[in-house]
Amino acid sequence: MELEMVRYLSKLAKLEFTDEELERAVEDMTSIIEIMDTIKDIDITYDPYKDNHNVYLEDLRADEAKPSLDTAKLLQNAVSQENCFVVPKVVE
Amino acid sequence: MIELTISELRKKLDSKEISAAELTKEYLDRIDKVDGKVESYITVTPEKALEQAAAAQKRIDEGNAPALCGIPMAIKDNICTVDVKTTAASRMLENFVPPYNATVMDRLESEGTVVLGKLSMDEFAMGGSTQTSAFKKTKNPYDLNCVPGGSSGGSAAAVSADLCAAALGSDTGGSIRQPASFCGVTGLKPTYGRVSRFGLIAFASSLDQIGPVARSAEDCGTILNAIAGWDLHDGSMPKITEKPDFTSKIGMDMKGVRIGMVSEFFADSVDEEVRKSVLAAIDSYKAMGAEIVECSMPSLKYAIAAYYLISSAEASSNLSRYDGIKYGHRADVGGSYNDLIIASRSEGFGDEVKRRILLGNYALSSGYYDAYYGKAMGLKQKIREEYAGIFDQCDIIVTPTAPTVAYGTNENYHDPKKMYQADFCTVTVNIASLPAISTTCGYNKDGMPIGMSVVGRMWDEATVIGAADAFEKTFTRVPAKL
Repeated sequence: MELEMVRYLSKLAKLEFTDEELERAVEDMTSIIEIMDTIKDIDITYDPYKDNHNVYLEDLRADEAKPSLDTAKLLQNAVSQENCFVVPKVVE
Repeated sequence: MIELTISELRKKLDSKEISAAELTKEYLDRIDKVDGKVESYITVTPEKALEQAAAAQKRIDEGNAPALCGIPMAIKDNICTVDVKTTAASRMLENFVPPYNATVMDRLESEGTVVLGKLSMDEFAMGGSTQTSAFKKTKNPYDLNCVPGGSSGGSAAAVSADLCAAALGSDTGGSIRQPASFCGVTGLKPTYGRVSRFGLIAFASSLDQIGPVARSAEDCGTILNAIAGWDLHDGSMPKITEKPDFTSKIGMDMKGVRIGMVSEFFADSVDEEVRKSVLAAIDSYKAMGAEIVECSMPSLKYAIAAYYLISSAEASSNLSRYDGIKYGHRADVGGSYNDLIIASRSEGFGDEVKRRILLGNYALSSGYYDAYYGKAMGLKQKIREEYAGIFDQCDIIVTPTAPTVAYGTNENYHDPKKMYQADFCTVTVNIASLPAISTTCGYNKDGMPIGMSVVGRMWDEATVIGAADAFEKTFTRVPAKL
């Protein structure tokens, strides 16, 4: 795998690497892709219509409002909070 | 007493030979003395465990104790426990305290189970050695210089070292069965959809399944009885309302049972001692009257690629929730919203997790999707069809659980390719949603445990448990010496 591809994937993944880490990532990903490339030998097509057996729409609950966790519980793991999740300014 | 099975402990508790508190204290003492060497626990909760033991004792005294009442268990650290830190062995979740319980925890609590603490694992369950844990790189109780397997390495090592009576793990591509094999205990991966995934920190949602690690197949069945069953919070479960007894085939007669021997699982990459040991176990079944059917699974050679593409694609999507804002590690940086997310994720995730995210993004990215993810999904269907063909001729399949015994703590870790290829015996079971159990079938010349897996049809855990139990009754386990 080329360095540029690893840079592109890192951007998609919202990850950043030092130059040294990038070099190692290129090496690792090249080796991993060698295994993944074995499936290029096989002529196979995915049929999405065969593959919906794990969706049990009939068992979903009725669309009714139910009590949820309270705000304090939902915020207990946020590092920065003022009775809401605090994020850096996104609008100038 | 701490080395006994759940069914033996049940008798001791019910006959008042030991109280739930005394039993709990024995395990806590053992953790104090031994876990410094094994490093299986990330968090121990002694006060909570003793409170639960006191409550369990009341039910025992009243004479209405369920099967797990007063039994000290421990839980893999990717299963949410309300008000008890749940880290998934990642810096990303180092301080995460869940505001709710996983469904399996509610079910264990309603049985009166005592929970001793949370067990180490590979970070976000990605790995087969427990050496990617950010906190405790667990050791194998049979040889502290070897890995316990993974990702549920803490669960298997803790059971093996008598640091709990049984444990819960999770299995996405072999993460219960392979460590059970390496640590000489029994581990069950139930059918996908049998146990609720609500509260399990997601890795690959179409493959993840919670299951037990214990000292016997019967104990695995007892735990599955407690944790299985439909849950409104998990949309991947069919609404099966009847509750089967997963121990109903304990003591089953193997006469006439058709056992599939799939040649590809005994490939050259399987260590000679492992192969011989599993073949000897198949001979034992034959001596019990089972019929051996030779079968083939041509797609097995593509299974590692299919598994890593599907699981990494799902992981890259599941792990996009870690942004440092709602929960999890938040980097101390200025700058934009995007800068905060990138820094938080880059600091919070370990190397293996980052590799899986990169691979998942590659498999799903424009221009590569059809060649990788699309083909992997096609292979998933093909593997399922091949299993269906095999189960037309057989009742169960017996395979090695892993191609080798436990390896040294520094081997493989820096070679992801080698690490991934070692999973070829287990991943197809997850791809096909099947139940499978691993139990010990021998020891190599150095005394390291060898595991075999019994794989069954979807929803037929009772038969795989029964077949594993039939073998266990003929086999003498050698406990780890610590």
